[in-house]
Amino acid sequence: MHLTEEEMIGQVYGEGENAAAVERHLEDCRECADAFAELQRDLADVNAGVNRVATPERDAHYGERVWAAIADSLPVYAREKRHWWSSGLSKGLSYATACALLVACAFYAGRLWEQRKQLQTPIAKQAPAPQQTKQQPIVVVVLDDHLDRSERFLVQLKHADLDSSAMAFPMREEARSLLAANKICRKNAAAKDDPELTTALDHLDSLLADAANEPGGLNAQSIARLQDEMNRDGVLFEVRVLRSRVAHRGGTGETPAKGGTI
Amino acid sequence: MLRMDKNDHAAIQAVLAGDKEAYGALVVRHSHILFRVAYRITGNEADADDVVQEAFLRGYRKLAGFESRANFGTWIYRIAVHCALDKVKHRKGDEANLAGQVGDSNDPELDQLQVADHGAGPDRILLSGEIRSMQEAALHSLTATERTAFVLRHMEDRTTAEIGAALGIEPNAAKQAVFRAVQKLRRRLAPLRVAT
Repeated sequence: MHLTEEEMIGQVYGEGENAAAVERHLEDCRECADAFAELQRDLADVNAGVNRVATPERDAHYGERVWAAIADSLPVYAREKRHWWSSGLSKGLSYATACALLVACAFYAGRLWEQRKQLQTPIAKQAPAPQQTKQQPIVVVVLDDHLDRSERFLVQLKHADLDSSAMAFPMREEARSLLAANKICRKNAAAKDDPELTTALDHLDSLLADAANEPGGLNAQSIARLQDEMNRDGVLFEVRVLRSRVAHRGGTGETPAKGGTI
Repeated sequence: MLRMDKNDHAAIQAVLAGDKEAYGALVVRHSHILFRVAYRITGNEADADDVVQEAFLRGYRKLAGFESRANFGTWIYRIAVHCALDKVKHRKGDEANLAGQVGDSNDPELDQLQVADHGAGPDRILLSGEIRSMQEAALHSLTATERTAFVLRHMEDRTTAEIGAALGIEPNAAKQAVFRAVQKLRRRLAPLRVAT
């Protein structure tokens, strides 16, 4: 098997794929060695031939003549203007876009943080008490506020004028608001294994649910029924007891942090 | 050979800043090198002059896209090679005529006889001139890409990677173009071996 012409050309240029094997073959094969020598002579002849064709000289002013020939046809690069439009403006737009994105992200992150905070508070209250002592002031304040609002609602309900419907709508709205807060307090109470608080909040929940969901809204009849229910279960009394208990605990142990949220 | 001059970068920045005249310095600095490669590819002075001008015109238009880390000399050299290649391709008809004048009979035996006939003459100088003509004609008989690849390899001492970059083809394709050029030239010039 002899070398191909391509392999030999590659060998001459030092760009063959298997130079060592070709070299060994050329040492062993006289026929290929002769062909290779002939190729080298041919290339030398070609080189000598093309290099004999001298490149015409151009004098020292050649470049200036080239420049003179093309200068008039070249436009001027208006960099400042181009820079202002393509670079400056685009940079400005980029910054504005980045700022807008940043503000949007901050707003969205803030909303998420608020939501998580709201969700985490009741979950935290379900954890073992010793590890949650730092969150307790918030719970106390929330419960205290809730009980305070509930007491005022119950007092209002107790003394509601059955002949007047002016207070019916605000009372129902207040009942709905208290009902939502009461559910959270109930969960917390159940998690803390506080049966007294849980029972009281259960009674309150039942009453608030009836007030909030009364078909057709509160009227004299429904208010009377709610008053009976309240008196039967002693809800107002329970709430007042709980309030005093919570106030006592807050005053002796923890420092209530006003403004806490559920 | 094509060192990047710090002045090249300064001139480019000046041109892009609106100083058109700064491009003149680049033209003066690189014209001779461009003329040499253009002439070697086209084989014609007038064409080479055209190629030099065209290369600098194209270079100016593309200057905004020139990467500051690149070498202007190498960059404008490649543009000149492209321009020369275009020139040779557009001159195909002329090339075919020129190739037809000498040794284009596709009959090696006839070529051999023709040269042998000239060799029988008394004037050795005349034979030398004839051989040179044949070599030039053989070179012109190559395709534009083969001829350019061969010129860049044998006369400009470029590597196949550089040739590939200049021609806008893969290095292996550039190597094959050089190989094909060598093979064709050998067949074209085979009669000369008998004559000499």
